[in-house]
Amino acid sequence: MTPGDTPPAGVAGADRQEGALRFYGTELPGVSAGELSGTLIVIEGTDGSGRSTQIELLTEWLEAEGFAVQTMGLRRSFLVAKDIDALLAANTVTRLTLTLMYATDFYDQLEHRILPALRSGMVVLADRYFYTPVARAAVRGIHRDYLLGIYSMALRPDLTFWLNVRPELAFEREFRKSHAISYWEAGRDMSLSNDLFQSFIRYQSAIRKEFETLSKRHGFLEIDGEASIPAVNRELRKRIAAHLGIKSTRYAPSPALARYWR
Amino acid sequence: METPEPSEVLSAERPADTSRRPQRDYPGALIVVEGIDGSGKSTQLYLLRRWLEVGGYRTHFTEWNSSPLVKSATRRGKRRRLLTPTTFSLLHAADFADRCERQILPLLHGGYLVLADRYIYTAFARDVARGCSPRWLRNLYRFAPIPNITFYFRAPLDVAVNRILASRPKLKYYEAGVDLGLSLDRAESFRIFQGKILDEYDKMVHTDNFVLMDGTMPVNQLQRQMRTMVAERVELGQFGPKKQAEPADE
Repeated sequence: MTPGDTPPAGVAGADRQEGALRFYGTELPGVSAGELSGTLIVIEGTDGSGRSTQIELLTEWLEAEGFAVQTMGLRRSFLVAKDIDALLAANTVTRLTLTLMYATDFYDQLEHRILPALRSGMVVLADRYFYTPVARAAVRGIHRDYLLGIYSMALRPDLTFWLNVRPELAFEREFRKSHAISYWEAGRDMSLSNDLFQSFIRYQSAIRKEFETLSKRHGFLEIDGEASIPAVNRELRKRIAAHLGIKSTRYAPSPALARYWR
Repeated sequence: METPEPSEVLSAERPADTSRRPQRDYPGALIVVEGIDGSGKSTQLYLLRRWLEVGGYRTHFTEWNSSPLVKSATRRGKRRRLLTPTTFSLLHAADFADRCERQILPLLHGGYLVLADRYIYTAFARDVARGCSPRWLRNLYRFAPIPNITFYFRAPLDVAVNRILASRPKLKYYEAGVDLGLSLDRAESFRIFQGKILDEYDKMVHTDNFVLMDGTMPVNQLQRQMRTMVAERVELGQFGPKKQAEPADE
């Protein structure tokens, strides 16, 4: 297929196995989704939803079960991660530029880290996917169709979990962790309120609403992120085990991660 | 959530416009030159700019890929040869978005005559030649204002390529399109790559209302055509010194 063609739904995957990975729309230049034998699992949720903790635990569990794991996340690309950090620190960047820099960060990781891992049959755990940058840009007034168009060459994940927490609890967790709330986490660029707490709550509520829309559109598996760490982890393992064909979901964290279980 | 003021609305905030009719809600005007390397476009835009500046018109000149924003990323990507057609394209789009939101749009709203040496059509031609999907690209640049005039300088491939090869001792990896695996010889790769870009430009003459300029004509004749066209299509009086309606004829 030439890169310019967008296949009609249902046609492109005809020669692939059931359940194989697919692109949302257009294929990336030079990549065929049929050669990807790995599994892509996404964990989404706002700051303070417990994503990173769960990914640490899941990585250990999957490795114990004999699966090779690769991870990805926001601002982790070799190409532009540092540049985005600098732009955020200076906070003079416009929303459109930031949106496109996040897209560059995403595709750099997709092409250089995720696709090679999926080709060799690994399990990719994504600590957020493109849904977070889409939600952040959408609440800043950029049209959803424009955003989803940019990410039309992304892979459709096998499983997407959404750790849903109330903004008030997210605030509490974030504050306990770093004793401060950052400019961007509170959506300060949007002039929502001069009160940091109010600004955070309004901003995170808008993001959460955006996630509800995305959840419907993309079939997220919603998980109560306010439950205890072991309870959330049990739920995640149950779903992932079923997908990967792992029989037993018994797991207890190693001493290094045991603190999460207390 | 508050809705932005109508004047601030970029078309990235609206569903895609299928009518293709440019909607301009600003008093400024945008004049663009496009064409492959060595087609003579930059010289012509320089002369047009001088003419307008000497005449006292409010003008601003902008170039493709000129902001420091993505310089370090581009350098990093090029040195390690990490750039793929997709990330190459996105980096340029990010750079252009920055220029668009912070320079081009504010100036158009402020009633300036903006002159652009290369514009989004450079991305359309070059990135499609690299293998990006045209549909994806058109969406990506949806926020860009549509030019009032786009001059397309067309020179035969050999003429343009020889102009570049004669003046440049060594072609760079991405510039020559070596990443596409067209040929191991850089000059040959450059020729093939530029040929593909030329084909893409030609396709846009009708779809994007290019004004075709014959790049093989003498410089002063081309410039005369260009000035005539600008005076015809743009209400120059809006941008000018108080009394004079048009700059003095040469």
